[in-house]
Amino acid sequence: MKILLIGMNHRSAPVELRERLAVDDPAPALRKLVAGDEIDEAVLLSTCNRVEVVALTRSVVAARHRLRSFFRRDLAGDRPLLTDIEKHVYEFGGAEAVRHVLRVASALDSMVVGEPQILGQTKEAYRAASECGACGPILGRLFQNAFTTAKRVRSETRIAERPVSVARVAVDLAHQIFDHFADKRALLIGAGEMIETALEALRGAGLASVAVANRTPERAGELAARFEATAHGLDELPALLAGVDVVLSCIGGDRPILTRECVARALSERPHQPLFLIDLGVPRNAEPEVGQVENAYLYDIDDLGSVAHENAEERRREAARGEAIVVEQQHRFDGWFAALRAVPTIRHLRSRAEEIRSREVQRNLGRLGSDPETAEAVERLTRAIVNKILHEPVSRLRREAEREEGMAYLEVARMLFGLDEPDDGDDRHESSESATDAEEDLAAGDLRHDPTDPE
Amino acid sequence: MLLELNQITAALYLVAGLVSGLSIALPSARAGRVAVGLLVAAAVAHGVAFSLLHTVTPTPPLTELPLAVSFMAWIGTLFFLVLLRPAHLGRLVVAVAPLAFLAVFVAALRLPDTGPASYSGSGSWPHAHVLLASSGISLLGVAALAGLLFLTEHRRLKAKRPLSPRLDLPSLEALDRVNAVALAVGFPLLTLGVITGSIWVRSVSGHLWNASAHETWSLIAWAVYAVLVVVRFGSKQGSRRAAASAVAGFAFLLFAVIGVELLV
Repeated sequence: MKILLIGMNHRSAPVELRERLAVDDPAPALRKLVAGDEIDEAVLLSTCNRVEVVALTRSVVAARHRLRSFFRRDLAGDRPLLTDIEKHVYEFGGAEAVRHVLRVASALDSMVVGEPQILGQTKEAYRAASECGACGPILGRLFQNAFTTAKRVRSETRIAERPVSVARVAVDLAHQIFDHFADKRALLIGAGEMIETALEALRGAGLASVAVANRTPERAGELAARFEATAHGLDELPALLAGVDVVLSCIGGDRPILTRECVARALSERPHQPLFLIDLGVPRNAEPEVGQVENAYLYDIDDLGSVAHENAEERRREAARGEAIVVEQQHRFDGWFAALRAVPTIRHLRSRAEEIRSREVQRNLGRLGSDPETAEAVERLTRAIVNKILHEPVSRLRREAEREEGMAYLEVARMLFGLDEPDDGDDRHESSESATDAEEDLAAGDLRHDPTDPE
Repeated sequence: MLLELNQITAALYLVAGLVSGLSIALPSARAGRVAVGLLVAAAVAHGVAFSLLHTVTPTPPLTELPLAVSFMAWIGTLFFLVLLRPAHLGRLVVAVAPLAFLAVFVAALRLPDTGPASYSGSGSWPHAHVLLASSGISLLGVAALAGLLFLTEHRRLKAKRPLSPRLDLPSLEALDRVNAVALAVGFPLLTLGVITGSIWVRSVSGHLWNASAHETWSLIAWAVYAVLVVVRFGSKQGSRRAAASAVAGFAFLLFAVIGVELLV
């Protein structure tokens, strides 16, 4: 069995292509994918920045062919692909595929490194695949490992500490000026998209009330209605400034509308109430001298952008520490996955021993003519002996199977105990039910389960 | 017993400061909570130590500098703990606890000499004077600490330098509030300290005013603070100037009360 990943992301494919392959409900496509012989398990991750399929297969060549046609036909559907997707698709196999899944869930492969949404999207993809029966125990284990990795990367590094969007930076700065937002009032100057995004972030932080001022009162009224705000004209600015704590400005015009005089006048009556001004306008809506007014803290788009850029740099530095965690978690999964090779041999060994035990007990009990109580005692006794004898070799087999050279131990075991297995060099090829069996064996303790992996 | 208790108190303050530093370096919210818990334990032990001191000696020599500084540290810590949650001051344990540790450590070194105060025949006025004046000074110290932090944060925000999120310092608004509350409570206590001090002087010499260096400079310091309070609450002084005034005022107060004492 091998894990194969095929997909495209924001670096490999343009949005025009990604949007044609994006799916809202992956279940029908996944059911179709695992219905064939090529793929045993599959998970489809579709976000605005990536479309990826992780698959478990017994034949890499057949699976690769199937997955590429899955992208072209099943995902694209009726939507015509304007370009050859082969140029934009990447493929990872085995350990590389495992590492990629862990990196994606940990937001190390994201456009904005450390962003929090991807973990939720990965969980959702896993849930959808599990519910439609496409995700089995092996990919299930891989995704649980990915969630643990993501959690570790977030808690053990500072990758998500600093905001990297202009809106989030503004909220972060506002937190450094104001203790809480529940009693704060904001004034929006303009009614464009930038204002709306920043307002949503401030509202999310708990901002109490909002006033919108715009050249076109109708547009101000529309935004005001959406955010339960009051609408005003620009001529009311001086009066409004005196009563607000945060000013968000992004409005066109050749001359600044927020002058040093009008801000100083507004603040003169409230010496202990700071005013945070966020000027997102280009050209700037506030005179640079406004920042010199005591109690006024002015940040323009470049200031916020440079903070965001600095924060992004910090995230990139932290990403290196995240990569080390990914490698550690990948080794854990690789060890577990490699140990699955021992499952058929162990199961065969146990069934051979049980067969001998059962045959000998039946033969001797028949000869002795024992009563049921004695027969039950003999059954228990012989089972205990067999289990104790097999315990050490089975433990060693499952330990050694995690290493590459562990195959020699499996071969020796098969030879010593006369287990008639196909000697194809990879026992994970055994059957489609091996994954389920492996999971059962895991539950029975036949394979060492990593106790440090909580999920 | 008293010595051991002071040593335990000093150790708790020190560990609280170290754990708080660790909570910032890691960063760890849990370690931050542990640091606050340790500071509370240190303040309780500190309070028990003062109660015990009064049991051992009904009129302990609190006018002696080490003990007075230790008492100021205790009152300052209590006030800090009261404001800790409403003003989001958790991260400042890293500054407050080491200061308190130093104060208690120095006092603990002096304890073996502890005996009845030389003024034990002057009734309860000396004691009241020391307790009230020390409480006032410690609260004005908290106002100065908040002011210093305000000025640092104000400069950083004006210069548009980002703050490391692990520091999670109190907002400017919270620091200004701490400054105002500490000044509003600290100045009346200082005033009562000056009044009880005069009564004590009168009970000893028969005059309200002896024109000693300590009395003169203390009165000047009180007058400076009276001006600061009037300007802060009675005019339109901004938060930055209020913070700067709190720092400058406290520096002058320290000189007037402790510096002059050491120099003369």
